[in-house]
Amino acid sequence: MLFKSLDLTTALRPLLLPDEILLFVQDAVGLYEGKYKVQNYQNGHAYLTSHRVCYVAAEDPRKYSVAIDLKEIDRVESQAGFLKSSPKITIYPKPQKKTDKSRSATASPSVAQQAVLHPTQSLSHLPQTNLQQSSPSPKPINATWICPICSFSNPVPSNFDPATASAATNLPPCLACGIKPPFTTVLKAAISAVTSRESPLLSSAASPAIAQDTCQPNANASLSPFGSGGTVSCPRCTFVNHPSLTECEICGAPLSAGPSASANRVDSPAPLFEQSHIANTEISESIKLSFRAGGDKTFHERLRGALVQRKWLLRNAPPVPSPSQGASSPGLPSSAASVESPLPSVPRHAGVGIAGLERRGLEARKKNELVIGNAFEDLEALMASAKQIVALAESLARESGMTTNESSPETSAVLSESAAALGMVTTKDMLSSGSESLYLSELARDLAEYLTDDRKGILQREGGIMSLIDLWAVFNRSRNGVELASPSDFQKAAELWEKLKLPVRLRRFKSGLLVVQRYDWSDEKTIEKLQTWMEELRQVPPEDPVPWDWSLFGRAVTAQEAAHRFKWSVGVAAEELEMAEDRGVLCREEGIEGLRFWRNYLSSRGYDDLSRLAI
Amino acid sequence: MTTTPFAFPPTYNFPPFFTPQPNTTTRHSQLEKWSSLIQSWCRHHRQYRLSLIDAVETPLFHNTALRKRLDLREARAVVDWMSKSEEEGGGGRRAEWISDAGGASSSGALGNGAGMGPKTVAWIWWRRPEEWADVLVDWVEGTGQKGSVLTVYELIHGEGAMSQGEISLFDCG
Repeated sequence: MLFKSLDLTTALRPLLLPDEILLFVQDAVGLYEGKYKVQNYQNGHAYLTSHRVCYVAAEDPRKYSVAIDLKEIDRVESQAGFLKSSPKITIYPKPQKKTDKSRSATASPSVAQQAVLHPTQSLSHLPQTNLQQSSPSPKPINATWICPICSFSNPVPSNFDPATASAATNLPPCLACGIKPPFTTVLKAAISAVTSRESPLLSSAASPAIAQDTCQPNANASLSPFGSGGTVSCPRCTFVNHPSLTECEICGAPLSAGPSASANRVDSPAPLFEQSHIANTEISESIKLSFRAGGDKTFHERLRGALVQRKWLLRNAPPVPSPSQGASSPGLPSSAASVESPLPSVPRHAGVGIAGLERRGLEARKKNELVIGNAFEDLEALMASAKQIVALAESLARESGMTTNESSPETSAVLSESAAALGMVTTKDMLSSGSESLYLSELARDLAEYLTDDRKGILQREGGIMSLIDLWAVFNRSRNGVELASPSDFQKAAELWEKLKLPVRLRRFKSGLLVVQRYDWSDEKTIEKLQTWMEELRQVPPEDPVPWDWSLFGRAVTAQEAAHRFKWSVGVAAEELEMAEDRGVLCREEGIEGLRFWRNYLSSRGYDDLSRLAI
Repeated sequence: MTTTPFAFPPTYNFPPFFTPQPNTTTRHSQLEKWSSLIQSWCRHHRQYRLSLIDAVETPLFHNTALRKRLDLREARAVVDWMSKSEEEGGGGRRAEWISDAGGASSSGALGNGAGMGPKTVAWIWWRRPEEWADVLVDWVEGTGQKGSVLTVYELIHGEGAMSQGEISLFDCG
């Protein structure tokens, strides 16, 4: 099983595949590979979808995000929290075939590959290979210490050097119970491990360079000497194990003698996983998700549900035929019989004229009735035929939209279609109860995605800026009355945009009006636009003769005109004009016609010939 | 005195000129422009005192073409600004309020200004007393009369003074 790299949306969430559904989100999740924490993957969001388990780090999410496919998961285990240890969910990949394993072993930047390549390579490559090897694998001290609290055998960290370590050295806590070990325990374990190592193979732990050289002919020679009969002696209790075992039969210490090149990962005693960037790397044994802020139970439950449902099998299945296709579609096996047999209906459609059209309309109506009737029989049926219902609702909405002929057909179209288009709807249902902040951050991401979706182009149509209240209305309408966001939640979510580094920003005007705009939108850009407009007004002669010099002063603009020109709402336009006035770009004229704005000739010296008249 | 019409600056025809600007920077340059407009207006008309109540009806504060005007309150604000020194954020003492009593005795123009508060009439210093002194000294030196005694009448109506033009109407009130 591979860690797959993950495509993220603009809101830094996993990009869902077609038909993929988001099932659960949990924040403050850490990722373990086997027993070890993976560096840079210790604080992030875990997304459970119907197809994948995705991990997106909170810091630098574009770099550190991975996904694993559910279809490659063999089984899932839940481990409750214990003392300081967070609850964890362990995911075991499906066992691979032998051929796969050997291939994947050579694919990783591994010692084994170098061992194969080394004899044929020229000597000039030697320094390079040495470099490559020395970076991922530290001194292989295969030491474990026994936790005095829970007697769990933990690996001694790789950077733990018994020669230099002191009581002040930061020790990792026990992997099982999370209690820090006494320093002496670890020290004893490390020393005993080193001494037991040095006797069979002196050169191994002494210097890394020599160790590398000896590694090359046989990748595992330094770690665990093969017995004469291919057996492996345990590094801890010296019991001679069968070579296919990965753990000692007697003491449970991990054996390094596996043929897999992931040996340096499995046996690395570091609590931190070696590689900091794990996309496209092989999962050796299992991965763990550590739920530091709870939510593990729901995650586990839904993950198991998703594994049972196997939605990914449906990915290539034919789409559910929409009811508008007419009665001849064999979409509903149960209803098809009750209406009419699909086969005879096909020839009747051809060339009967108005009567045929009418009959077809009648059939379509009957079909719709059936679909609706079946769907609402019980909740299960509704879930099963959800797609049809949504399609039907859309077509109905489209029809009604056509008849009412609204002022802005685009908006209504967006609203009616967005039920399906708003694919990634985070509802409170998907989040564990009580995690208000997670709900807000997910709502913020929802909003950001909704705003930046090019299909709808909400923000573009509003001229790149939109008041928060308008957005709230449109957003809630697009949710079709389900899982509505409350105004306070909405505002809080909008305030999170900046923190979450999403491509939209909330901005507060001087008057307190809250607007939503793209993050790259700035006052300077607005002012630039306004100035070009003012410049244009100076070129065009006004329709009616004006008492002032229009080629010099141009013409006054009102907030309404600005709103019309830049497709802003009037409130936004007024605020932007006042902002420009604040910056000294515009000046105001108050008259019986209302408030109008002019280019600021009062401050500009270029047109000022009063100095000539002044003393 | 002069028959040539006063040439208004282009800003006079700029409608926002008649609206008090909320932006401080813009307001400052607006007041500066008003100040210089009032000064050049008074200079053109050889006027030293400006009665605001009368002036708001004159073209100075009332642009009939634009149908815009500066009302009394606003005009007072402008003159107020002019009367402050630059250190106080004003227009460098280009105006000075005349108290009601003093103003009424010197001119009948204030007859309808009674009860309008003290700030209705102001000296407009299109040339400040210090500047007048400089002008006088220059004139005296230019005409080679340094050291000689001159009466006020001579200063105002003398041959040289007439040619200077500047002080021909110098009237200390």
